[in-house]
Amino acid sequence: MTNAAEFSGVTQSYGETIAVDNLNLQIEEGKLTTLLGPSGCGKTTTLRMLAGYITPSAGTITINGVDATRLPPEKRNLGMVFQSYALFPHLTVADNVGFGLKLRKVPAAKRRELVLHNLDLVGLAHLADRKPKALSGGQQQRVALARAIAISPSLLLLDEPLSNLDARLRVQMRSEIRRIQAETGLTVVLVTHDQEEALEMSDVMVVMRAGKVMQTGAPATVFTAPANRFVADFLGYENFLATADGSLLTVRPEHLRVGTAGGTTGGAPATGLNLPAVVTDSVYRGVDHIVTMTATDAAGQQTTLVSTTRRDTLSSDQSGVRPGDRVLAQARDHEIVRLAA
Amino acid sequence: MSRKPALLLVPGLVFILFGFAIPSALMLLAPPSTPTADVFARLGAMLTDPYDLAIIWRTVRIGLIVTVACVLLGFPIAYLLARSTSRFAGMWLALAIFPLLLSNVVRTFGWLVILGSQGAIGQLLVILGVTDQPPQLLYTELAVVLGLIQLFLPLAVISCYSAVAQVDAGLDHAARGLGATKSQTLWKIVIPLSRPGILIAGTLVFAGATTAYTTPYLLGGSSQRMLSTQLFSYASVSVDWAAASATALIMTVLVFLVSGLSSLVSRKAGVTA
Amino acid sequence: MRGRPVLGTLAVLGYIIMIVPILFVVSTAFTAGDALTFPPQGLSLRWFGEALAYQPFISALVSSLQLAVVSTALALLLGVPVTLAIQRGKIPGKSLVEGLFLSPLVVPELVVGLALYQQIMIGLHQTSFVALLVGHTVLLLPYAVRVTGASLALADPAVEEAARGLGASPLRTFFSVTLPLLRPGIFSAGLLSFVTSFNNVPLSLLLQSRQFRTLPVTMLDYVQQSYDPMIAAMSTLILAGTVVIAIVAEKTVGFAKIFGGINK
Repeated sequence: MTNAAEFSGVTQSYGETIAVDNLNLQIEEGKLTTLLGPSGCGKTTTLRMLAGYITPSAGTITINGVDATRLPPEKRNLGMVFQSYALFPHLTVADNVGFGLKLRKVPAAKRRELVLHNLDLVGLAHLADRKPKALSGGQQQRVALARAIAISPSLLLLDEPLSNLDARLRVQMRSEIRRIQAETGLTVVLVTHDQEEALEMSDVMVVMRAGKVMQTGAPATVFTAPANRFVADFLGYENFLATADGSLLTVRPEHLRVGTAGGTTGGAPATGLNLPAVVTDSVYRGVDHIVTMTATDAAGQQTTLVSTTRRDTLSSDQSGVRPGDRVLAQARDHEIVRLAA
Repeated sequence: MSRKPALLLVPGLVFILFGFAIPSALMLLAPPSTPTADVFARLGAMLTDPYDLAIIWRTVRIGLIVTVACVLLGFPIAYLLARSTSRFAGMWLALAIFPLLLSNVVRTFGWLVILGSQGAIGQLLVILGVTDQPPQLLYTELAVVLGLIQLFLPLAVISCYSAVAQVDAGLDHAARGLGATKSQTLWKIVIPLSRPGILIAGTLVFAGATTAYTTPYLLGGSSQRMLSTQLFSYASVSVDWAAASATALIMTVLVFLVSGLSSLVSRKAGVTA
Repeated sequence: MRGRPVLGTLAVLGYIIMIVPILFVVSTAFTAGDALTFPPQGLSLRWFGEALAYQPFISALVSSLQLAVVSTALALLLGVPVTLAIQRGKIPGKSLVEGLFLSPLVVPELVVGLALYQQIMIGLHQTSFVALLVGHTVLLLPYAVRVTGASLALADPAVEEAARGLGASPLRTFFSVTLPLLRPGIFSAGLLSFVTSFNNVPLSLLLQSRQFRTLPVTMLDYVQQSYDPMIAAMSTLILAGTVVIAIVAEKTVGFAKIFGGINK
């Protein structure tokens, strides 16, 4: 397993504020790595340092084993897709895709062939002579992708590439990007704040917060075993309960069940969670039924619990809970995640 | 480009410093072979001399009248065009802006034809039998004021237009829906919200009107001297550098005073709003 | 305008003051008579012929065009790099620098003209063309900086980064991406600069010489001496030229857009 790029001790600060703090990160060759985190976590700064648009305040960045820390962007041979697409408005689609090839002095005939091949890859060969303005957002996105791939980059960098697309197109483009990556075998680094996007697309997920890496791993690992409360929070865990020994337990809302005092829906678990709680709210929301409760955890802290259940699997006594009802919040052992505090 | 942006500034900076900033400062404070003390002595003399004071007062008075008139005429044009749904609105706006491209000299000549002794108004009054002799309309303050309004009204229209266009028309509808009349909507909603643009319009017009040369020269003549025509005659007829500098100082201070005042007012309004 | 009698009346009055004097100039240009009177006596094109045959007007027109073209080019050559530095570079005191380049809009033109007369013509013994070139360029720099700046501010800076990422050097990026993006702004600024220089009176008046005199100054001189319809004919020709420029502006970048850049 080799690394296409590597950050060692990289720090980026603007005056007082530190955007990236002593980052150590390996980008594995041939994999799709996502940098995931809320805005201001340093993910975009990290990507822009890799691309060469920002020079780190400290540390080194190597690309294919060569120190590239101070190399200008045009000497790095990386393909970047910008959030705004950044297509050249005065050039046709074909000239946009051929821009990098022309700079590499690829002969005209060969260039035309490569342009068409790459446009074909994104399914837009028929729009080669249009100007970017005449394309839809999704089409512009594909042209930007084709333009970045056309130069056979050593890495493909995607900066929130799907955030300007509507929901349906976004989901479609996720698998499209995966397909293109599989066909080209490119190493891809993708920046996103969308956990669903990261989970679906990544080989490796890097969760960041305030300039630091919180957790790195395969999506399934990170999702089922978040390293700390921040990662769990970001991946949609709720229901945080302190234990007597000082660690923190969490259960996803869809795993938390509401048991009534008389009988329980899933049968009372022998082990696991069985915590008395008081219902504060009970609402239908489309496919889900959501019950909100308050309970006191083992550390004596008052805490809010949320349980979501698909309506079609709902039992009558569960749907009948009213605010004020005394219930039991229940989860099985394997559904409970123990976090380092 | 991003590495050495300061270098891009150098030629422009050198040019504007040596071609503008330094010569202007020297002209105002230390004209050639004239001690600075002389400039200030002349300035003091002018500020007490009735003839010079009359010129200063006329300049300020004409500037104020023209400013008020341009805002009074320009805002309605801007407001009606900005709120118009007619497909000719763009054409009317273009017609109001077009004079800005046209030579001041050409625009001012029109008044010679209208106000001159052989001109349209004079002839009309004689034909109608109001007077035997065409009245003296040219070389009056009225002529200068009319000429300056014509010159600077397009500027007022543009400034007011961009201000009114920024005020969401939905606010007009909301106010009307809450029971405000058309004029209440105008006075309570549109005018307060477009005040910064109106202020800019007023400042630009005042600065332009108090320093314009062509109009007072052609329509005011020697009987309606303003600071600009006076400055030119000091510089090229009597070649009195101290007097020219002193006059230029008065003119410059006047313009800076009004622009400073207007930015102060708009800043204060911004704080309370 | 219906339902707003006061506003409507004021607006109509405004248009009358702006437009009617221009119509009077045009109508007297076509007179067959000898005097600048109204109504015109008969219809003829004779004064257009006389204006075009009047040598001082023609040589002044050539001078005005020369000065306008050269000072516009110089203002763009100096101003566009300044715009780039202000908009794209991280320079300290950015607003101060921008203020300096816009300041010729605030200082009375007569003051600038007199300053250059004293320093360049008297002090440095330069010709009036040199002094006028400096003066007009100073006057046009604010337009070059503001108008091109407005168009650059609208362009996505990521486009330049994209070019760098694809392998273009900073210089190559400038010529193949930034400059094409700037083209409409440069065109607007150039148009506005040309017209401003061509029409300028205060600077051209103070810095004129017997060898070099612009058209507006020559026309002002002429009207002092003789008061005949030739001046109306020349004015009408200038009006026609200005209309052509306005139409070009409208068809290319849009009229209001050009002026939108100045008054912000």
